[in-house]
Amino acid sequence: MSDRQTTVMIVDDEEMVVTSIRSFLELDTPHRVLTFTSPSDALEALAVEHVHVIVADYMMPGMDGVTFLTEARDCRPQASRILLTGYADRHNAIRAINEAGLYHYLQKPWDNDELKLIIRNGVERSRLFNELDARVAALEVANEELSGLRQKLIEAFL
Amino acid sequence: MSEPRDPHTELDELRRAQTELVNSAKLATLGSLVAGVAHEINTPLGALHSNHDVIERALNKLQDILEDEVVTPDELEEVRKIVRAMDGVLHTNGIAVGRMVKLVDSLRTFGRPDRADVDRVDLHEGIEGTLALLGHEIHDIEILREFGDIPLVECYPDRINQVFMNLLLNALQAMGEHGTLTIRTRSNSNQASVAISDTGPGISPETREHLFDPGFTTKGERVGMGLGLAISRQIVDQHSGDMEVDSVLGEGTTFTVSLPLDLIEGAA
Repeated sequence: MSDRQTTVMIVDDEEMVVTSIRSFLELDTPHRVLTFTSPSDALEALAVEHVHVIVADYMMPGMDGVTFLTEARDCRPQASRILLTGYADRHNAIRAINEAGLYHYLQKPWDNDELKLIIRNGVERSRLFNELDARVAALEVANEELSGLRQKLIEAFL
Repeated sequence: MSEPRDPHTELDELRRAQTELVNSAKLATLGSLVAGVAHEINTPLGALHSNHDVIERALNKLQDILEDEVVTPDELEEVRKIVRAMDGVLHTNGIAVGRMVKLVDSLRTFGRPDRADVDRVDLHEGIEGTLALLGHEIHDIEILREFGDIPLVECYPDRINQVFMNLLLNALQAMGEHGTLTIRTRSNSNQASVAISDTGPGISPETREHLFDPGFTTKGERVGMGLGLAISRQIVDQHSGDMEVDSVLGEGTTFTVSLPLDLIEGAA
């Protein structure tokens, strides 16, 4: 992977939440930040954007955060998905995290140091998955080459 | 079996029990209110909490840059980045503070502890204030306001707002995540009416018979549950008003409250 730029996507129907998180991440981290207030717009962007970490709010009109993150997995299976929740929907959220196989959850009001750490670990995890994929692909190519060579060897001796 | 009891003692006991019931219903309304306020305050609070921290970090970075009194081109780029972050923070803080001011305004309209007395009020204000506090129950529910041009109504605003709270909360909870809430207001020369319609499952004839019975509920066991409508009716009666229910199974329910424009105190 030559591209070292990491990208974080933030999705919350509240403009003030996405702007706050964007301000913090741009000031204090090297990540490129994409923000959306509509989950369906965010899904469209995921089709073309290589994203490492996705942070989504739980309670959004139109599409809740868990549904959004489940659909986001189909687009970007390697991205680490994080759910942002209010206190009231904590129990539903925790259940959903287990069902949807999310990476982490973060409670509002969030702590910036914690957010930064979870995102950093999420980026690392996503990178490792990508690297693993690349290695597996390279191994498959090598394996094919080997079996091709083996075939040629056998043919040469026959 | 039991000795004949003094009817006065019995009446006193009944009154005490009634007061206790009324208080627990008030607590249940207060519970919804507090949950609503906590939820509504959480988003702007979260933004302010984060932004305060961002300002602190930005200030530290600026102090570091200024320490040696020489600003390199790289550091200048960093300063530009900090200014951009501060710009975002300032903008968001304005929105967050605005939201909290609005919330406190809604609470004032709702509670008015300073004016628990009779007043002439715009019922629309009470409805909007109550809706603002019920934001967490609204989910994907569409709200239609068919507001008429109604005059100020003389009433006990805190009590009437409690009626709106109960009826709106019932309507929202009947629908769950999706549906349409319609609020229609009308008036004629001597009274004003507020109709609150939901697109929930409707109320069966059996349930309807007990709708206004104190303690009757379909919502499970919780303190004060099953008193919302009983109390609401009592409040409307105190205002010599009227409360009607219209429900079709599978289509929805409408509660209509009518109040005289000039308060005529009725029997409690």
